[in-house]
Amino acid sequence: MAGGPRPMTRLAVTLLCLVVVLGLAAPWLAPHPYAQQIREFTTTAPQPGFPMGLDDLGRDRLSRLLYATRVSVLLAPAAATISILVALLLSALAATPSRTLRWSLSLGNSIFLSLPWIFLFIILRAKLPLNTDPVVSVTLTFALMGVAGWAVPSRAFTASILGMKDAGWLLQARAAGLKPWRIATSHAWPHLWALALAQFRILIPAYVLSEASLGLLGLGVADPMPSWGNLLQDLQHPDVVQANPWTLAPLGLLVFVMICLEVLAPSRKVAL
Amino acid sequence: MKPLLLLLPLVLSAAGPQQLRFAIQGDPRTFDVLMAAESNSETVRYLTAGVLVRVNRTTDVVQPELAESFLVKEAGRAITFKLRPGLQFSDGAPLTAADVERTLRRALDPQSGSPTGDTLRAGDAVPAITVAGPREITLRYKAPKPNIDRLFDSVGITPATQAKLPTSSGAFFVAEYQPGSFVLLRRNPHYFKRDPQGVQLPYLDSIRLDIQQNRDIELTRFERGELHLINKIDADGYANLSRSGTRHATSLGSSLDSEFLWFNQAPAKTLPDWKHTWFTSATFRHAISAAIRREDMARIVFKGHAHPAVGPISPANRFWVNASLKPLPTDAKASLSELTKEGFTLREGILRDKAGHPVEFSLITQAGNRPRERMASLVADDLKAIGVKVNVVTLDFGSMLDRIAKSLDYEAALLGFANVEADPSEEMNVWLSSGAQHAWWPAQKTPGTPWEARIDQLELNQAAEATRAARKKLVDEFQKIVRDQEPIIYLLNPDYLVAVAPSLKGVVPTVVPPQILWNAEWLRLE
Amino acid sequence: MSRPVLQYRISARYGATEVLHEVAAALAPAQIVSLVGLSGSGKSTLALALLRLLRYRGGQVTGSIRLEGRELTTLAESEMRAIRGHRIGYVPQSPGLSLNPRLRVQTLLHETWRAHAAGPANHQALLESVQLPADAVFLRKRADELSTGQGQRLLIALALMHSPALLIADEPTSALDAITQASILDLFAKINRERGTAILFISHDLLSVAGISHRVDILHEGHLVESGPPVAVFRTPQHPFTRRLVAAMPRLVLPD
Repeated sequence: MAGGPRPMTRLAVTLLCLVVVLGLAAPWLAPHPYAQQIREFTTTAPQPGFPMGLDDLGRDRLSRLLYATRVSVLLAPAAATISILVALLLSALAATPSRTLRWSLSLGNSIFLSLPWIFLFIILRAKLPLNTDPVVSVTLTFALMGVAGWAVPSRAFTASILGMKDAGWLLQARAAGLKPWRIATSHAWPHLWALALAQFRILIPAYVLSEASLGLLGLGVADPMPSWGNLLQDLQHPDVVQANPWTLAPLGLLVFVMICLEVLAPSRKVAL
Repeated sequence: MKPLLLLLPLVLSAAGPQQLRFAIQGDPRTFDVLMAAESNSETVRYLTAGVLVRVNRTTDVVQPELAESFLVKEAGRAITFKLRPGLQFSDGAPLTAADVERTLRRALDPQSGSPTGDTLRAGDAVPAITVAGPREITLRYKAPKPNIDRLFDSVGITPATQAKLPTSSGAFFVAEYQPGSFVLLRRNPHYFKRDPQGVQLPYLDSIRLDIQQNRDIELTRFERGELHLINKIDADGYANLSRSGTRHATSLGSSLDSEFLWFNQAPAKTLPDWKHTWFTSATFRHAISAAIRREDMARIVFKGHAHPAVGPISPANRFWVNASLKPLPTDAKASLSELTKEGFTLREGILRDKAGHPVEFSLITQAGNRPRERMASLVADDLKAIGVKVNVVTLDFGSMLDRIAKSLDYEAALLGFANVEADPSEEMNVWLSSGAQHAWWPAQKTPGTPWEARIDQLELNQAAEATRAARKKLVDEFQKIVRDQEPIIYLLNPDYLVAVAPSLKGVVPTVVPPQILWNAEWLRLE
Repeated sequence: MSRPVLQYRISARYGATEVLHEVAAALAPAQIVSLVGLSGSGKSTLALALLRLLRYRGGQVTGSIRLEGRELTTLAESEMRAIRGHRIGYVPQSPGLSLNPRLRVQTLLHETWRAHAAGPANHQALLESVQLPADAVFLRKRADELSTGQGQRLLIALALMHSPALLIADEPTSALDAITQASILDLFAKINRERGTAILFISHDLLSVAGISHRVDILHEGHLVESGPPVAVFRTPQHPFTRRLVAAMPRLVLPD
């Protein structure tokens, strides 16, 4: 690691940037509007003009994949960021000497981990006006997912913070007369940052998949707007996959992004 | 352990060559034929309950069964049954008019909570029952009782004592039940019916109803030959079966079911005035209806196994459908010109009303129901062509019901009915303006318009008429009004698709429940 | 003799268990005192107690600690912070655990500097005094990339940065091989000589510290059982524990 980024890292970063650019540039790259139904060609294999074929409503799969990438690569990381920020803020309570606060944190954590918080989304859907712009509703869904998902990273942060309390370097820093705030920002933060990056990588695919399962309940990204999640729902229909292997493309892209993120993972184990 | 497991299928298939097997989706709640209230119990009831008369599912004629004859008297107020001689229950005990009387009294006992009792009562009134000898029984109502003969198609005659696995008066009896696994029915050795050659029915020795919730597994087991029939499969399953080459899937043509959408016409707080004005305008509703390409919907969503609907009664319901109704027009241009008469204008691809409000509405449908999600998508795309913006919102079924029946916080909804009976009275609570399921305005205090008042009148009157011909006239007019007003915009009647193994003979297909099983005593395996 | 740098009389407990019983001693300026005891004798507790850091390990201290004539036990935490690292330097054991593995050398130096001083700092002389390189490559190294010896020298440098009057070193050589150990001990002796820093040297190894100490205090089960110049302790140990300790030492290095 000392001698600059490894070639694999550089490759992964390049490819990830490429995926993000593909998503952002979807309106210019997509050959067709994502919702356009060409009804003469429903469930059609690849053909000229439609390199990935058409879906069961006659919509261009390539265009839908590009737009879906836009939704997923922008919103899933955003939601993951929200989760991590909320988790960091709340996990800071673990560092306080107050027993009550630490206990509340642990309780809140357990509750959020065990609660079937799908009901939050049902409430959100119930409260949102039916004519809400799909972009707004998608953004809110991901934001809520981000907030509700704080408990998972928080568990890791809390464990890390509690582990730091006994760390030798903390004693050293105290004996050197450092103020608590400096200890937090200069000594503890690098540890949490590494952990945050690791959590970030775990949360992104989790949110892409959560969005997919929310879609089954009508709480995710609503048709006709595509997302990796709702494109993946096609995989539930084996005959569709058989008819057109490009149905697997969103899954492929998701796995690809996962691998790239894995390559970017800090090479050493996260020290607690 | 392994040899044993291998033996298991052999043992099961050794149960007799004449064992019919199919799957039900859950455990029957009861084997008491008077208490059956959900589809699994109803299937068992149909196969095990002897009834006085049976409605022929293909001809719609009421045929004598345990009764060798029956007579409707006093302008539909009374009915007299004459039982066949020498009837016996499956345990050999004689079946007499006293058993019928006891059955009816048990069903009518308000304590019993029997759904059969509900159909036998007229409002709160209970018919007078008189028994004349061991083979004759008469029921008498104070007022004419519609369908007085047909009612008895679902009244199973039960023995004096109710065991856990009761003896039966029908073609089969419940011989064994393993909760969560299967229900085994055996042929009733004392069943009265014989074929023209004098061979006692049923032909089948036994019927095994495997409890199998997963429809995909059911399909696989059918393909493997472990099941003989699937009484209802969806278009995807049908396509899979057809592709796999087994080709046992059959379409029975249009079913009694229908898919439709409607607009919220209730004065809901959440609904802006101008939208309320659109939704209560028949011209607006016709325009929307005409812009929907139902043929595409049938082809794309149901893979061709559906037909554009004409009105509230499916063409499969041959007696009750108003055959004079022509197919709904699908002419977006004509509908647009009708709309312009009401002040709507189409500019730059956006339809606006008189006041300039762009025409946009949300359409809710059931999340996870792929055909309905698909239909909604197609509707949205079709309406784009006349400048209408549709926001499709899929909701879990609970939330959807809450919106359409309680909060009324919605604009348009897409749903379907799965009809289990051909009789038009079945949908009464949808059409009566006071009905809880009155789609476009539930539990209305008074009908809002003359045509709604007329629908109420027709619905109530047809139910009170004694003869089917007289009822039909009223039901025809009702269909005409629905067609003229389109408070519910009918989309499709999906086909009824079944899968039947080639070895199963004697099938007389019908879309009326219980479909393939309706003449179970005549079915045989080869 | 001038005013002692450190003078203490303390008891310490974890919950109901008392681990230091009225331990009292003093250090004169520029004096090296070794506190020797077996593990579990309370040596490390004493070090933390003197820095008033024992509460972070769940312990309580009673008694009196006077640093350069100032009573520490009554000071507020913020006042205590101004003393730690400034008037008392602390060299912990095991650089592997005591240096934050994710921080670079320059960050550690910078943070330690900022704790008690403002403005730019040049640590070159400091690093050289502990025989560490001061080039950019070394400064950019992360703590977990240092050797144990380098780590220990860095810990010493951090403790010395603000020229404290007293250095408390808690087993600073126990993680090191024999040769490095010797050179670190030399370094302490040199610091003491050149800067006049008083050093409280905590160790389990009487033999290794005897050479550089002006006085040896023997701690046994929370009691200070013996105190005197190394030669006296070796020649005429009074307490039975000290006798056992001396008897267990290899003979050949006995000074005359």
